[in-house]
Amino acid sequence: MAIVKHLSLVLVALAFVSAAVNRQDSINGDIVVSAADRKVDISTHLVKINTAYTLENAGKSSVGYFLVPVDTGLADSLSFFGAALKASGDEKGPALTVSQTTVSGHSDKQFWRVNLPSAVESGKTVDVNVETVFSHALTPFPRQITQAEKQYVVFNGNLHVFSPYKVKTQKTTVTTASNTIESFTKTKPNTQTENTITYGPFENKEPFSEAELRVHSENNTPFLTITSMERVIEVSHWGNIAVEEHIEVRHTGAELKGPFSRYDYQRSADHGASVKSFKTVLPAAARDVYYRDEIGNISTSAMRELDDMVELELRPRFPLFGGWKTKYTIGYNVPSYQYLFNEGDQYALKMRFVDHVFDDLVIDQITFKVILPEGSSGMELKTPFQVQKGENGLHYTYLDTVGRPVIVAYKNNLVDQHIQDFELHYTFQKWRLLQEPLLVVGAFYLLFLVVIVYVRLDFSITKDEAKESKMRVASLLDEVQSAQDRRSALYQSYDDAVDKYKSSKDQATFVSTRKKIDADYKQLTTQLQGLQTQLKNEGSDLAEKVAELNRQDQQYKEQLGAQVTLAEKLVAGKLNKAQYVDSDKAIEDKRSEIYKKMEDISSSLN
Amino acid sequence: MKSSAGGFGTQWFLKMSTDKQDTLLKMSILTIAAILSFSTRLFSVLRFESVIHEFDPYFNYRSTRFLTEEGFYNFHNWFDDRAWYPLGRIIGGTIYPGLMLTSAILYHLAWFLNITIEIRNVCVFLAPLFSSLTVMVTYQLTKELKDAGAGLIAGAMIAIVPGYISRSVAGSYDNEGIAIFCMLLTYMLWIKAVKTGSVFWASLCALAYFYMVSSWGGYVFLINLIPLHVLALMLTGRFSHRIYVAYSTVYCLGTILSMQISFVGFQPVQSSEHMAALGVFGLCQIHTFVDYVRSKLTGEQFNLLFKSIVLLFGSVGTLAVAIATALGKISPWTGRFYSLLDPSYAKNNIPIIASVSEHQPTTWSSFYFDLQLLVFMFPAGLYFCFKKLTDSNIFIIMYGVTSIYFAGVMVRLMLVLAPVMCILSAIGVSGVLSTYMKNIEAPNKKDKKPKRADLTYPLKHEIATGVVFMMTAFLVTYTFHCTWVTSEAYSSPSIVLSARAGDGGRIIFDDFREAYYWLRHNTAEDAKVMSWWDYGYQITAMANRTILVDNNTWNNTHISRVGQAMSSTEDKAYEIMRELDVNYVLVIFGGLTGYSSDDINKFLWMVRIGGSTDRGAHIKEHDYYTPQGEFRVDKDGSPILLNCLMYKMCYYRFGQVYTEQNKPTGYDRVRNAEIGNKDFELDVLEEAYTTEHWLLISDQCLCISFATYRTGKHAKSFATNSSLHRLPGCRRHLQQNKVNDNQQEENHNEDHGPAARKKSCSVVYSTPDNTNSHGGVDRQVLMPKPFIIQLADSADHLHSEPIAPHVLAVAAWVKLMK
Repeated sequence: MAIVKHLSLVLVALAFVSAAVNRQDSINGDIVVSAADRKVDISTHLVKINTAYTLENAGKSSVGYFLVPVDTGLADSLSFFGAALKASGDEKGPALTVSQTTVSGHSDKQFWRVNLPSAVESGKTVDVNVETVFSHALTPFPRQITQAEKQYVVFNGNLHVFSPYKVKTQKTTVTTASNTIESFTKTKPNTQTENTITYGPFENKEPFSEAELRVHSENNTPFLTITSMERVIEVSHWGNIAVEEHIEVRHTGAELKGPFSRYDYQRSADHGASVKSFKTVLPAAARDVYYRDEIGNISTSAMRELDDMVELELRPRFPLFGGWKTKYTIGYNVPSYQYLFNEGDQYALKMRFVDHVFDDLVIDQITFKVILPEGSSGMELKTPFQVQKGENGLHYTYLDTVGRPVIVAYKNNLVDQHIQDFELHYTFQKWRLLQEPLLVVGAFYLLFLVVIVYVRLDFSITKDEAKESKMRVASLLDEVQSAQDRRSALYQSYDDAVDKYKSSKDQATFVSTRKKIDADYKQLTTQLQGLQTQLKNEGSDLAEKVAELNRQDQQYKEQLGAQVTLAEKLVAGKLNKAQYVDSDKAIEDKRSEIYKKMEDISSSLN
Repeated sequence: MKSSAGGFGTQWFLKMSTDKQDTLLKMSILTIAAILSFSTRLFSVLRFESVIHEFDPYFNYRSTRFLTEEGFYNFHNWFDDRAWYPLGRIIGGTIYPGLMLTSAILYHLAWFLNITIEIRNVCVFLAPLFSSLTVMVTYQLTKELKDAGAGLIAGAMIAIVPGYISRSVAGSYDNEGIAIFCMLLTYMLWIKAVKTGSVFWASLCALAYFYMVSSWGGYVFLINLIPLHVLALMLTGRFSHRIYVAYSTVYCLGTILSMQISFVGFQPVQSSEHMAALGVFGLCQIHTFVDYVRSKLTGEQFNLLFKSIVLLFGSVGTLAVAIATALGKISPWTGRFYSLLDPSYAKNNIPIIASVSEHQPTTWSSFYFDLQLLVFMFPAGLYFCFKKLTDSNIFIIMYGVTSIYFAGVMVRLMLVLAPVMCILSAIGVSGVLSTYMKNIEAPNKKDKKPKRADLTYPLKHEIATGVVFMMTAFLVTYTFHCTWVTSEAYSSPSIVLSARAGDGGRIIFDDFREAYYWLRHNTAEDAKVMSWWDYGYQITAMANRTILVDNNTWNNTHISRVGQAMSSTEDKAYEIMRELDVNYVLVIFGGLTGYSSDDINKFLWMVRIGGSTDRGAHIKEHDYYTPQGEFRVDKDGSPILLNCLMYKMCYYRFGQVYTEQNKPTGYDRVRNAEIGNKDFELDVLEEAYTTEHWLLISDQCLCISFATYRTGKHAKSFATNSSLHRLPGCRRHLQQNKVNDNQQEENHNEDHGPAARKKSCSVVYSTPDNTNSHGGVDRQVLMPKPFIIQLADSADHLHSEPIAPHVLAVAAWVKLMK
């Protein structure tokens, strides 16, 4: 059943995906862009283009969506495409759903369809902000620089807003990383102030109009690219979520040409485009953070715990110059209550699909894995953007029997905007939480059982007489000891009985009690004598000691008898109090002396 | 009436029978000792991290990883083309695989039980684990020799003896880590076999011997000691059927088993080191036969027969050995063996052996440092053994006496001495304690007895108490000493150095790994790195790059070639580097931080080794000294030194650097001198990477077509007499080498204060343990001779051809021709 269910899920997913990719849209000639204000930000190693469109429905019927093509030269480096309604002020308006699409007759272009929240009626306008981020769109030029040289990059783009609709008026602002601009396209009208270049306004451009835009400027921001990353989230229902990231990072700026001189590097404070360290922000609850690589700990890092995050300053083992790469692993634990929610046996994990590594993040390729507790089933992964699902696997670790399910997903080309939560729903029976402790308990139980059985059974082929005898003697001695203990207890009963008799003067009760004690005593003495004989048979010299013990006991018993007689005399009035006390005292002394001897013998038995 | 919990506890204990009390006590003492021996070795893990230490362990770690990933057969047939470029090295057949197999088995076992432990951690913790097992075995062995009491003391002593800890701290993943366990296990089973004369114990002994052979070259010591014991028993007239059965079984089984290790091969029947065992085996047969004949003949007949036969066989035997040696059937005594017998042999004849600090004679101070109390209790133990001579006591006496001799010859053999020191001292301590404990009267009888005893033995009780207290105090100081030594001297991973900063914080010098990691990620996959051989294993393991020479110093010619490159002028060196297809050169330089074990301090060895072959005949040691015979890097230094490649690489642009206040630029803090050649450019090399603290400099060649040369390097100085005499700064602390390891590290940081600096500069970074660890057998033995010659010759003429398949073909051809 479960297989069938999974299969159908996969089919549904497939159908959905294919529908999304294959959908065709057509260009609605009724739409006119009445104004477009484009801001091109090339101040980092990313190209961020934000375009504010004012769309006008010039046709008769209402419009539910519009299309945005990606600039032809940049289509391959598109990392993120998003759209939002324009809101007043700086705030972002509500995000709009976007999806990639194709248009017949324009198969060479990449189109995105932006769905409007409500259809735009004929003659109405709507303001939409479209945000796009491109990675690897800036080319270092020259491609190789020496240690002391600055890094220059070239941006090649489209001077006009690329649109399938007619654009009535448009303006483009390019922001560079520094004031040093080597060259830029001089198409009029343009103005340059410090690190911004403004083009336009251009009036009434036809659909798909293109013109060269080339800016060559200094850019010493770190061109760090994560060429591949594996993020593993291991969920434990005992309250912990372990996150581990394996990161391969490369400096994708202009390559270092010639020598690297540590002397020059240490002498100057300005390290150009090379990267000495970067900051990673972890969740505030992160603890047990580690930072290592294939050959051990990387000792150069600093961690600062702030109120709302943990800031980690990571220094790779060596500074990264253009073309250099390194690889490291970072890991930490977070408490699960912040991310794991449940209703009965239904669980939902809500965490970030990818987390911050450094500002202006670029990840070329990510492998994403979630390891769920053993026995989880019915996994369903919901991601805020499309990912490629991998084949789920099994992971075995401490105390596992059938393995933990692993959810795998891949995604290429991620940037800051992809730092969003995913949701993973699954079923987990709560009792299974006890499976592993019970396993341990069971294992120990078995171990002890085996030991118990082993030490009690004799596996030897030949009989070791001496050892056997020794063991028998030991057990006999145990018995002697316990019999002696009981006998000592009986003496106490004698004393009690005598005391009682003295106070109550009840002859009959005393006699019956005494008889009873005497009977017990006789029995024990017989037993001890029997044990003594047995010991003798074993040839143990301890038999002598037991015999001595019995002799002493005999004397002790006699003293007790004397005491009883004295008591009887006292009760009968044959003795006065003083006489009794004296005699009793003498007997008591003797008794304690004998008792001490008996104790000595008894303890020397072992 | 005792009612406290303690009282209850005691009662509970006393209630058990003496047997049970005894077992419980023994078990708990042993368990505590085993746990202690494990945990005392964890200093470096706690202080730094779980990391492999030193040099050779990196090779072992790398091969273990290969074994676990590729399986046994691939491992056995492993031809490593990452080392000894362009020759390569047949690893499977040239190592003792016991260590790797042990950790691979443990690793697979753990994974089978779903214990997901990394192979690195298995390797790091293997030595402490086996030291725990050693405690158990030592207990058993000493119990066989004397009694359980001595066994417990021996177990507790060996748990913390520094001489053993030095080779078995966590991370010191070396053959010795498990070999000591194997050795003691073999001894224990041997004693059992001798005592019982049973084939069962003798066979077990042979198996243990097999394990020993598979893990360490030091097995040669075993296979000589056991025959020596048998011989001693014969001479003392204690030879019996028990000995006969035990030795015959152990020798036959053990020899056949040991020949299964491909590295050992036919040596047990060919090489001279094994001949003693064979001879004693023959003697055993003869002795038994003679005994038999004697029982059948009259005294006169027997004497005549005996004399003539001895004469005949004696002459025939001598002749046979002479012929076999001449024909090369019995391999000649190898250098390392000679250096055992004659400490000055190696120094005079084989520079590569002499250059390793652990092959130096042991100083008196290091005996005390490594053994402390044991030095004094050892003779006491010997006395107790002689007092009650038995077959097994003779064994431990032989072991003690021979190993103390060998330990005196070579520092590293301290390791073999430490266990027997523990055992004999334990016998001594136990003997003393059990003698005097009897004289201590129980407190409650104190009133009555002393007066009676006074007549013959005055103050009996007091003297006994005094002796026991003294012994206790000795043992307590022993414990403190051992812990201190472990913590201060033996727990530094040496690839990570730490120092205390002025503010009390800790500064970590991680330059070695910085350099290796840079090489690993930012050089071409097939780049060849030239460096002095010390760093070979680390480069292959951590940087995963091809190297020319490594710590397995099997080919002197090749090492010599590297030495020549280092000590030649740039132009000459360039030719050699082109010939060897070098892309990068790695040098270690400590002149900025005061790290004294750098390549300049090792440089004289490069010169010596470089000049030791025909092709390097033009390199003469005295050219590198001043006319006064000093090794100086300042203006007065020899011009040849100031212009050689090593000097130029180390001091490239150093002339512009201010290292200390009030000193001129280019002041070398290790050698306390301003360098003599400051302004120069490298013509054929280019600096490729230098680590943060300048420990490592890599140079890259600006040369014409394809090669870029780089160098990166670490350093370790050899605390040898000869090098030190000429390094004025280093001489002073030669004797305190080990203690200074730490001080020296601390001093790395103290940039201020001339006193501190002086200290750091003058300390010799000794390598007490690990520079070279492949057992007592010379490596060259492992390969057929013609093979090596062929390789060496071809190496010199090779330019850049890929060599691996070629070499294999040559090897096969040579074998066929034989």
